[in-house]
Amino acid sequence: MDEITEKKDQIYSFSDYWPSIGIVGAIFSLITFVGGLFFGYQQINSEPTGSFFSPFMISSGVICLITSIAGLIAVWHFTKEVSPSLKLGQGAVIGFLTGAVIVVVSVLLSELWVLLIDPEYNEKMLESMIANFEAMDMPQSTKDDMIDAMAESMESQQSLLRQIFIGVPITGIINLITALIGVAIFAEKKNDDF
Amino acid sequence: MIRLKHTRFYFGILFTLTVMLFLSLGGGLWGAEQSIGHWTGALFQNVCHQNPERSFLFAGVPMAVNSRCFGVFAGLLAGWILIPAITRLTSKTQWTLRLIILAVLVQIIDYSGNLFQVWQNTNLTRATLGLFLGMSASLAVFKLFKPEN
Repeated sequence: MDEITEKKDQIYSFSDYWPSIGIVGAIFSLITFVGGLFFGYQQINSEPTGSFFSPFMISSGVICLITSIAGLIAVWHFTKEVSPSLKLGQGAVIGFLTGAVIVVVSVLLSELWVLLIDPEYNEKMLESMIANFEAMDMPQSTKDDMIDAMAESMESQQSLLRQIFIGVPITGIINLITALIGVAIFAEKKNDDF
Repeated sequence: MIRLKHTRFYFGILFTLTVMLFLSLGGGLWGAEQSIGHWTGALFQNVCHQNPERSFLFAGVPMAVNSRCFGVFAGLLAGWILIPAITRLTSKTQWTLRLIILAVLVQIIDYSGNLFQVWQNTNLTRATLGLFLGMSASLAVFKLFKPEN
């Protein structure tokens, strides 16, 4: 009995959290990266249709949905592999950091891809998206504004640190929320403090 | 008087969700001509396609997120605000899981129907369905804040 109580009251260190955060974060960032590349090259190699449903647009919706459940999966992993009891704050930390890992790893992988495999990927992607915007049925001034803003946006995100700094908060918060759902579903119910 | 477990955490997330919704209004709020290319747009570019044609306008400028994402963020905040009331009304949690599964299914059906040109959704329908998903996600955690009797 004492042993059980002791286990339940155990305070976890980061080394207990990292396997769940790291494994789930790495898997989801790989999915994000590979999915992004797959749809990215589909976009590059397709004729501009002017349709909203270009491969890139489809991929961003699907990838966003997949990425957002990483926090929930990380909490599930923690409850299976480390401890079935998990406090609210611990779940929140796992969720936010899982989101952060996804952003950091996928940004690094993208940079490596451009650096080592296909240095013209970003340019080809931009050209393809501009061609698709040009074919869209909307006023020319709107198209010009959108194209200028998009080109400016892609040029301004060249810095690795900037991409990470600006990408982590929102992805982290969304995964924090899904991690709380994970705590509600998977964690052992007990009278916990924070 | 709000009676909740983890009160500080609750209000911390409430503040965070409010800020997130506020920032999702995009560049129009800060006098920019576009949200894409503005720092508010950059914040959300990992989680949203940000197509101006499928976004609401704020101050004449497309928001930093599309209408569905805006609905999700608004729904997350609205659901979070409702948590104290829900903790008073019920202890049962099964309905929240059913609600979130339903909300996800409805999103998939709506997205697929539009993709395969069965119907054409609008900014308003996308935002409404996003609101439903966001609210159901927030409400799914209400039990964590319910005070013990």
